[in-house]
Amino acid sequence: MKHAYDLSRDNVQFGDLGRRWGTIALAVGVLGTAAAAGLGFAAGDGGKRFFWAWLVAFAYFLAMGLGALVWVMIQHMTRSGWSVLLRRIAEGIAGALPMLALLFVPLLFGLGELYHWAHADAVAHDPLLAKKAAYLNVPFFVARWAIYFAVWCGTAWALSRASRAQDASGDPALTLRMQRVSYAMIVPFAVTLTFAAFDLLMSLDPHWFSSIFGVYYFAGAIWLFFAVMPVLVWRLQANGRLTGAITPDLYQEMGKLLFAFGVFWAYIAFSQFMLIWYANLPEETGWYLKRWNGGWPLVGLLLILGHFFAPFLLIMSRAAKRNLRILIPVALWAMLMQWLDFYYIAMPEYEPGSGRVPLSLLDLAAFLGVGGLFFWMVSRNLASAPLVPVDDPRLHESLVFEEGV
Amino acid sequence: MTTAVIDNTNDNPRARSPLVLGDTSLTRVTDLVCSVYERPATRGWYIAFGISASLTLLLFAMIGYLFARGIGVWGLNHPVGWAFDITNFVFWVGIGHAGTLISAILFLFRQKWRTSINRSAEAMTIFAVACAGIFPLIHIGRPWLAYWLFPYPNQMAMWPGFRSPLLWDVFAVSTYATVSLLFWYMGMVPDLATMRDRATTRPRQIAYGLLSLGWRGSNRHWLRFEKAYLLLAALATPLVLSVHSVVSFDFAVSVLPGWHTTIFPPYFVAGAIFSGFAMVLTLLIPVRQIFGLKDLITPKHLDNMTRIILATSLMVGYSYAIEFFIAWYSGNSFELFAFLNRSLGPYWWAYWIMVTCNVIVPQVFWFKFFRSNTTAIFITSLLVNVGMWFERFVIIVTSLHRDYLPSSWGMFKPTAVDLLTMLGSFGLFFTLFLLFIRFLPFVAMAEVKSVMPHVLHEAGPTALGDYWGDAPRDHRAPDKGAH
Repeated sequence: MKHAYDLSRDNVQFGDLGRRWGTIALAVGVLGTAAAAGLGFAAGDGGKRFFWAWLVAFAYFLAMGLGALVWVMIQHMTRSGWSVLLRRIAEGIAGALPMLALLFVPLLFGLGELYHWAHADAVAHDPLLAKKAAYLNVPFFVARWAIYFAVWCGTAWALSRASRAQDASGDPALTLRMQRVSYAMIVPFAVTLTFAAFDLLMSLDPHWFSSIFGVYYFAGAIWLFFAVMPVLVWRLQANGRLTGAITPDLYQEMGKLLFAFGVFWAYIAFSQFMLIWYANLPEETGWYLKRWNGGWPLVGLLLILGHFFAPFLLIMSRAAKRNLRILIPVALWAMLMQWLDFYYIAMPEYEPGSGRVPLSLLDLAAFLGVGGLFFWMVSRNLASAPLVPVDDPRLHESLVFEEGV
Repeated sequence: MTTAVIDNTNDNPRARSPLVLGDTSLTRVTDLVCSVYERPATRGWYIAFGISASLTLLLFAMIGYLFARGIGVWGLNHPVGWAFDITNFVFWVGIGHAGTLISAILFLFRQKWRTSINRSAEAMTIFAVACAGIFPLIHIGRPWLAYWLFPYPNQMAMWPGFRSPLLWDVFAVSTYATVSLLFWYMGMVPDLATMRDRATTRPRQIAYGLLSLGWRGSNRHWLRFEKAYLLLAALATPLVLSVHSVVSFDFAVSVLPGWHTTIFPPYFVAGAIFSGFAMVLTLLIPVRQIFGLKDLITPKHLDNMTRIILATSLMVGYSYAIEFFIAWYSGNSFELFAFLNRSLGPYWWAYWIMVTCNVIVPQVFWFKFFRSNTTAIFITSLLVNVGMWFERFVIIVTSLHRDYLPSSWGMFKPTAVDLLTMLGSFGLFFTLFLLFIRFLPFVAMAEVKSVMPHVLHEAGPTALGDYWGDAPRDHRAPDKGAH
């Protein structure tokens, strides 16, 4: 039988490289934020465009963090062995959720620019909004987000802390503790993610509703994480980290997940669209009608082709998933497509019904601002511990892992 | 033969629990599984078969009566034009999903424990789909024209409505039945060859000889078998999601409050897997007891299945809650009325049976005491079956019985024919399952052998062992890992 790869032959310390990446990310984040603030100020619209750009960037990196967190929880709940080598990287991404709590604060100053329901006079003149006011109001919104971040950051922190403690002690009881934390937190996680998706994106059009929307956000979030993971691993290996331990077999596993959840996203997106199209009720179709004129149909078409068909066809075969020249470009493309998906969800509500796709440098600046600061924290997390859980009791299963077929 | 059951559900992260208990020689697996059909049928089997076969006769009698008299013998009337028939259809299609999940998705996830239960779960799938298929066929009013459901060129120049989800059902369910049947039969070929080789009577030799398609277990046979198995698993995986999604479209494409909501497709899929696993447990717990298969279908297997039941129960509970929240959040008073009426109106009892059985009772599986108590698992599985039947009844009947105009409101009362037809479908299901126990390999012998510890040790992860599962050994103590 195959013998486990000897991990001591690999460099598992992020160390100096991590500090260098962190510095670059911090610089990008600060410059991006400054540029976004400057451009937002220059737009002369009271910051409206800035807040919308920030919202899309925030929704994107929040999805990445939540995707990583739920993946770690699932690995513990299913007592997974093959994925141990990759888990620390996901813990590092999920561990940057507190940064997103900080980056959420700017949005609180723009609630009036983003959300129609945040205007008391609008609610007073709109019987539908008046009915929803018990849920859609500013104090409750802020309180909910405090709870969401407490659940997410607390879970990520508890899992990461136990995982790092195990590096020193190798205590299998810590594995059981992480398992218990994951079991305890999975229901709060599902509830908070769902309502966060309702609050952040669905309530941009406060008249519209879709009961699948939480699942839709989840599908995008976990898909985004499955795209980020191989890219990060690839960059780490290109810089001499984990060069021997992570084999094409593990890339194939990551590729399979990217493939499968691309299909899952398409299934969820199709379910929502088809049911609304078929029933043709004005209270629901309004949301799609705003995406039915001007430049938006092209964006929608690009999502169908680029978010679903292209990755589906390109990484279906075994050889493609094991070939980094195919897998990595597809993963990078997937990251772009998930951003476009959030753009498609949010931005038609910026000037509802105009049909204009308001692409702007601000979107790029906000993306770099939020992303840079987020990855600054990811780098710091990853640099402060080995890149793999070096004494996980199931590490050997990951080290001997081979694809059978 | 020792059947001492040890607890293999312990949670030691350093070692994987063994999946076969007791004496783990390969011959014993064959002997255990073959003894199920080689021993003469017991009196218990005959009694069970007698009851279920009588119920099957009852089913056909009811269908004959229905054909002779018309749909009016059911309790259907305005405004409830769909009730037991479609409830039973959705219920039985849902049951089938666990088999496909176990054989396809758990295979792709390399869950080796599936090997002990996949064969019987796949058989259950086929039989459940057979029961499900009956209901739409007998509901169409003029069943002798059932072939009109298929789009075929004809001199009437008439085509079915391609925009109707009922037609999508025809395609979804017939594809599902075909792929499931192929998957089940193909996976059985090596075991049928074992039965052929052990057969002592001429009819059995001929029958199993024909069924095993000349299987000799050569390298080339295995190579093709494994490729075909993987391909069929990949083809069956989307079916786990698509079939019940299409079933949910039957309701969700309408504009009816209580039916039209976007979460229906994944919600129905979760419910289908939930009910299917409950039925697998309902069937396997007595069978492993009666036929002495406790060393193959171990406490570990039951424990894993209860975890899946818990997970899918939470998904179903999530859907109930989100549906209710959105009914309020939509600000649509009809939508909210439909849900308040569902939970507090004249069918409140059905709604609360559903919530109790599907959401509240399965929460006991958070506790190891209940996950390891066979009686508790069995009772819970029965309750989940009841709850999931009621879920479909609640969705279908409560949404229909309050029409848009209060003058068109009404109630649905099942007739004796409704009830006896449903009972009869259970008879058909159990009859087929009892025949399966007597004539086909109940457990996938070849697959179980491939996940036994010494086979995995000798073959290593690149050989058969890895095909069926991951490489689970502790490299520091290779011999301790599995025992």
